[in-house]
Amino acid sequence: MTKIGVYVCHCGLNIAGTVDVENVTEYAKGLPDVTVARHYTYMCSEPGQRMIQDDIKSHKLDRIVIATCSPRMHEETFRRAVAETGLNPYLVEIVNLREHVSWAHTHEPEKATEKAKDLVRMGVARARLLEPLEKRKVKVEKSVLVVGGGIAGMQASLDLANAGFKVYLVEKSPSIGGRMAQLDKTFPTLDCSACILTPKMVDVAKHRNITLLTNAEVTDVKGFVGNYEVSILKKPRYVDAKKCVGCELCTKACPVKIPDKFNENLTEKRAIYIYSAHAVPKIAVIDPDGCLRLKTKKGNVCGKCQEVCEAKAIAFEQEPETIRVKVGGVVVAVGSEVFDASRMAELGYGRFKNVISNIEFERISDASGPTGGKIRSLYSGKVPKSIVFVQCVGSRDKRFHAYCCRVGCMVTLKQAILAREKILEDVRIYVCYIDLRAFGKGYDEFYSRARDMDIDFVAGIPSEIHCSPNGSLYFDVYDKGTNKLLEMHADMVVLGTGLVPNADLERISSLFHASRSADGFLLEAHPKLRPLESAVAGIFLAGACQGPKDIPDTVAQASGAAAKAIDLLSSGEIELEPLKAVVDKDLCSGCKICESICPFIAIEMKTEPGKDKEKSRAEVIEAMCQGCGLCSSACPTGAIKIQQFSNPQVLTQVQAALAEAKPKGGK
Amino acid sequence: MSLTDLMTMATPNLESREKILARLCGRDLVNCFQCIKCTSGCTALKLLELRPHEIVKLVNLGFVDELASSDIIWTCATCLKCVQRCPQKASPYHVIVALRNLAVEREAKVPEGYLKAVSQILETGLAEPCRKIVTRKMETVDRECLGLPKVCNPKESFQAVFMKAMEEKP
Repeated sequence: MTKIGVYVCHCGLNIAGTVDVENVTEYAKGLPDVTVARHYTYMCSEPGQRMIQDDIKSHKLDRIVIATCSPRMHEETFRRAVAETGLNPYLVEIVNLREHVSWAHTHEPEKATEKAKDLVRMGVARARLLEPLEKRKVKVEKSVLVVGGGIAGMQASLDLANAGFKVYLVEKSPSIGGRMAQLDKTFPTLDCSACILTPKMVDVAKHRNITLLTNAEVTDVKGFVGNYEVSILKKPRYVDAKKCVGCELCTKACPVKIPDKFNENLTEKRAIYIYSAHAVPKIAVIDPDGCLRLKTKKGNVCGKCQEVCEAKAIAFEQEPETIRVKVGGVVVAVGSEVFDASRMAELGYGRFKNVISNIEFERISDASGPTGGKIRSLYSGKVPKSIVFVQCVGSRDKRFHAYCCRVGCMVTLKQAILAREKILEDVRIYVCYIDLRAFGKGYDEFYSRARDMDIDFVAGIPSEIHCSPNGSLYFDVYDKGTNKLLEMHADMVVLGTGLVPNADLERISSLFHASRSADGFLLEAHPKLRPLESAVAGIFLAGACQGPKDIPDTVAQASGAAAKAIDLLSSGEIELEPLKAVVDKDLCSGCKICESICPFIAIEMKTEPGKDKEKSRAEVIEAMCQGCGLCSSACPTGAIKIQQFSNPQVLTQVQAALAEAKPKGGK
Repeated sequence: MSLTDLMTMATPNLESREKILARLCGRDLVNCFQCIKCTSGCTALKLLELRPHEIVKLVNLGFVDELASSDIIWTCATCLKCVQRCPQKASPYHVIVALRNLAVEREAKVPEGYLKAVSQILETGLAEPCRKIVTRKMETVDRECLGLPKVCNPKESFQAVFMKAMEEKP
C-alpha cells in the first residue's frame, strides 16, 4: 500500500499570491493514497525540508509529491533531503506550480488554483508508479583541455596545473597571449600589459603539467563528462620547434611581405615570422599562403630562410598532425573579436585613413607597435593636434549588436589618458559619448583622473564624419550639455569599437554542444547561479567567449571555471543520473531507427554471441545517454523506455488529467 | 500630475501620447536613449533649429500638445538620415509625421506650403507642377520641346477619392 505525502510550497508570494494553496492542500488530502498533505511558506528552507523528513519517518511515507517551483531549480535539493531519511531519492515527484501556474496566470487566480489542483492530481497519479533508481559512478580522466591561449585560457591552465591536473592548452595562433598581448597599458592602474602578461606566458610554457599546443585547433570531440576524447589538429609550422632558437635571421632573409595580424594589419611582416616581440613559444613559423616555395610546391624555389638558418630548423616537409587526447573536462576560452567598424559606413572607417579603431590605437600606442609607441598618424607621420574618441561603435546599436560592450568606455578613458601623457599639452582630446559607464573597482576614480587631465567630454554622437582633401577630419555634433551644435575638427578619430563574438564560435559551439545566447556569445548554464559552465556537463566557460569582459572579470571567471573543473574531477569519479534509456532486448527488432536519431551517439547495435549473426540489438551506452527520450518515442516496437518516463508512468498522468476534466462547450 | 514644465506650466497629455504611439504601431519608434546622433546630423537643425532628439523625448514624457501646435514639426526636411542611422532603430521622422497628423486633426495652423501642395495634388495629381528648365547651354526647355508626352489632369474620380482620404480620421 503506497503512502503519499503532498507538500505545497507558497514560495513566499510567488505561488501563494495567485494560487489558493490551502485549497490545493485540502484537495490533495482527498486524493487516493495520500496520507498527509501540507503547505508551507518556503518548502526548500531548512524547516520545510525537515517537515518532509519528519513525515517520512512518522507516517512511513514511500512517495513524495512536492508542488513548488521548476524541477530545474530545486529537484536536487528535495532529492537530497529525502535521501537523508533513507528513502530512494527518485521516489520524489515535482509539480511545477510556479513557472507553470502562478507566473503564467497571474491575473486569473481562480483558474490558476483549478490548474494547480489538476497538476497535483497528475503528480500524485504518477508518483504511485515511480520506481527506485540508483546513481552509477564512473571513473574520470584527471586532465583538462583548455581551448584558447588568451589571458582566460592561460589563467585557467595555470590554476588547473597548479592543482595537479594535466592540462592540454590549445591555441590557434602561433603564440599564446591573445588579445591582452596586443594592448599597451591596462585600466584602471595603467600597468603595462606586456609586463604583467609575459611572465604568465612563460609560466604556462614552462609548467610541467601543461602541454602547450600552439598553431593548433580542436577538430573533434567525442565522449561524455569525465571521459572526453578530443582530436587536435596541429598545423605545420614548417620550422622544427626543437631546433629553432628564435634568432630571427630567417625573417630578415625572407623576400615575401604579408600583413602583420598581430599589428592589426597596420604593418607588414615576412612570410617566415615570429608572431610578436614577446611570443611564447618564440619559434618562427612560415605562412603557407605567403611562402614562395610552399605556394609553388617546387623544391628549388627561393629557400632563402633555409640558407641563413644556422640551426637547420626549416622543415618544408612538415605535415599536419592529429593528436588525440583523453580529458575529463574542457574549459572553453576562445575570446572575442573587435567589431569591424567599416560596417558602419557613416563613420568613414576604411574610407578615411585617420579614422582608426581602438585596437589599432592600442597598437600605435604600444612600444612594439608600428610607431614604436609614439602616437602619430600612420599615413602622414604627423603627431595629431586633436584627437576625438567616438563611443559605442557597433555596440548598443540594434543594427549591429544591441548589448553594451562593457569595455569601450574604460578603453577610451585609458587611451585618452595615454594620448595626453604621450603628447603632453599639444593635443586637444575630446570624447563623444552617450553614457559613460565606469562601474568597476577604481573605474570611476579613473574617469575623474581623465577629467583632471584636460580631456573634454561631449555628450552627443556625430551622425557622420567627413574628410577634407588634406586628410583632416571634421564633423558636427550636438552637445546635450550646452544645447549647441558644435563643429569639430580632428587629425585623428578613434572609434570605440566593441567586442563581438568570435567568428569561430559557431564551429566551437557545435563541437562542444554548447549553445549560444541571442547575442551570439556562448550561453552559461544559469545567468546568475551557474555563470562558469555551459549546459553540457564538463564543459566550462571562461572569458569573453561567454560575453564581453575586461581583464579583471576574465581572470576571475577563468579561475572560477578552473575551480569548477577541479571540483568535478578531483575525486576521480563522478555520479551519473540514472534517468537513461533502457532496451528490452526481447522486443528489439534491430531496425536501427534509434541508432540513427540519437543526438548523443549513445546507441550501439550489437550482435549477441551464440545467436543469429544477422540480427543485431540496440544497446545503450549509459554514460553517453542524456535521457532525452527521442529513441523511446521513435521505437516502433516499444522496446526502449526512459527510466522514470515509461509509457505507464506518462499515460497515468494523462488519464489523471482527463479524469475530472469537465467538457467545454458544444455537445 | 506628476510632471510640470515650469517654463510653460504645461503638464503631460498622456491621451495624445497614446494617439501618437498608436500611429507609430507601438513603442519601438520612440525607444530612444538620447545619443543625439539624429540631431548631430539633422538637415533642418542649422537653419530651422529642429532638434529631433528633443521631439522624441518630449513625446516620451507626454508633452505632446505643445509640439502639435508648434511650427517646429513642419521644418523636417524628411531626409531620413535619422531613421537610417539611429542605433536604437527609433525614428524621429515617424514621430514628427505622427505629430503633423495630430496637428491637422486638431485644425492647428498648417504652413502655407503644405496647403499649396495639397491643392496642387488635387488639381494636377502632382506634388510639383511641370516647369520649364534652363539647360547648361542656357536654353529654356519644357516637356514639349523634349518630346515628352503631355501631363494630363487627373479624372474627377481621383479628386473624390483624394478628398475622402483626407477627411477620414484614423
